[in-house]
Amino acid sequence: MRELRRMRPLLGTFVEVGARGLNPAKALDAAFDCIVEAQARWSFQDPDSELSRLNARPGQAVPVHRQTVRVLRLAGALMHGSGGLFDCTVGGALVSQGVLPDHGGPPPLARGDASDIETGHRWARLRRPVRVTLDGIAKGLAVDAAIMALRKTGAQAGWVNAGGDLRVWGDMALPLHRREADGRLTPLGALRGAAVASSRAQSPGAAPDPCFPGRLVAPPGRPPQPGVWTVMARTAWRADALTKVAACATPVDREKLVAMLGGFLLGGQAHAMPSA
Amino acid sequence: MTRSPHDWRLFLLPMAALASSAHAADYLTVAQAQVLLFPAAKDFADQTLKFDDAQRNRIKAAAGVRQRTAEQKVWRAERDGQLLGWFIVDEVIGKHEFITYAMAISPDGHVLGVEILSYRETHGGQVRDASWRKHFAGKTLADRFKLDEDVPNISGATLSCRNVMDGVKRLLVVHKLFLAKA
Repeated sequence: MRELRRMRPLLGTFVEVGARGLNPAKALDAAFDCIVEAQARWSFQDPDSELSRLNARPGQAVPVHRQTVRVLRLAGALMHGSGGLFDCTVGGALVSQGVLPDHGGPPPLARGDASDIETGHRWARLRRPVRVTLDGIAKGLAVDAAIMALRKTGAQAGWVNAGGDLRVWGDMALPLHRREADGRLTPLGALRGAAVASSRAQSPGAAPDPCFPGRLVAPPGRPPQPGVWTVMARTAWRADALTKVAACATPVDREKLVAMLGGFLLGGQAHAMPSA
Repeated sequence: MTRSPHDWRLFLLPMAALASSAHAADYLTVAQAQVLLFPAAKDFADQTLKFDDAQRNRIKAAAGVRQRTAEQKVWRAERDGQLLGWFIVDEVIGKHEFITYAMAISPDGHVLGVEILSYRETHGGQVRDASWRKHFAGKTLADRFKLDEDVPNISGATLSCRNVMDGVKRLLVVHKLFLAKA
């Protein structure tokens, strides 16, 4: 058995993949290929991505890959299940704030709802001119797809870490620690057979932090609770998306809602990272 | 504690104190990265470039970022005398990181691939929540490469990932000025 790991700049961050098996190099190649494909399909920034083509043509059925149908369905289900706390239709608001680029198309609504996204066999359609952004879920789903790809090559175990969206698979445990607000590091344990993700929510009006450039758009009248929210789940897409739910939920509901949607909130406003 | 379908303790095993808090990893040696980025190449001929001040100023003027070092490690990737492309090793310094990476450029100036060779955080790691951007493959100097347009500053790349991207852009300029006609 051999173990290898590599890192590439992808998804706007550093993606690290590790694998153990008879041919770990093949497993790493398969995993990175998956991440590159996910980026080409779901990037909001890239005007040629499947997502941008969908956003540019509201009202029309746009042919898309089956994985794109899947991510849209998962996003829609989570939007529905979280009562809109997770919302992938806020692209219009982010475009008007200048946070995301405008690739043309009709002037977008600031936000929509789950019923705006319609999917079928290898096609998708936006019922209204909303702009879908998959930032809150696609990085996690890319991590899951990469894990699946390295499994298919016959690897025995592996992990994928896309800038903090981390999933470990197989007989392998990755040590995690959490950075507290004061900078201290607390060991959390070793992650095995599960995923963790973190998102940072900033106070409204706070200056952008170059280390945490993501911007959360909360439902009207529900500003996100500032802090770094870390969620564990069996899959990375779910952990990724539920960090947004955690940030936007009320303190009373937060833990319960994350659990109801299949995740586990790890220690409040701090964040975890692999310490491999 | 809310009941959950999983006992999450199963997925987070108890662990003794961590050996190190800082994230540091060596991923590839220069020779391994050469094989990975140019699998068809048989020879890598050292063609290290040395820049004088005027040349460094030209790079800065064209790339918008400073050429920090007077020397740039470059190899010609060849097969049976035919040029397959250029293999360049570079280093960037982020806010908290030292990152050594390798980049492969085709003879006509396209990015063939970027691999991180080593990544060292100077005081621990920070989880990054960055948004999407185009990847490097296929980039040329003719493409838009301005950070504010190509990678919106707020939702875009993290600081250190941005530094790698600036490095990629600078190396494309180095290729255009000093390697394209070599």
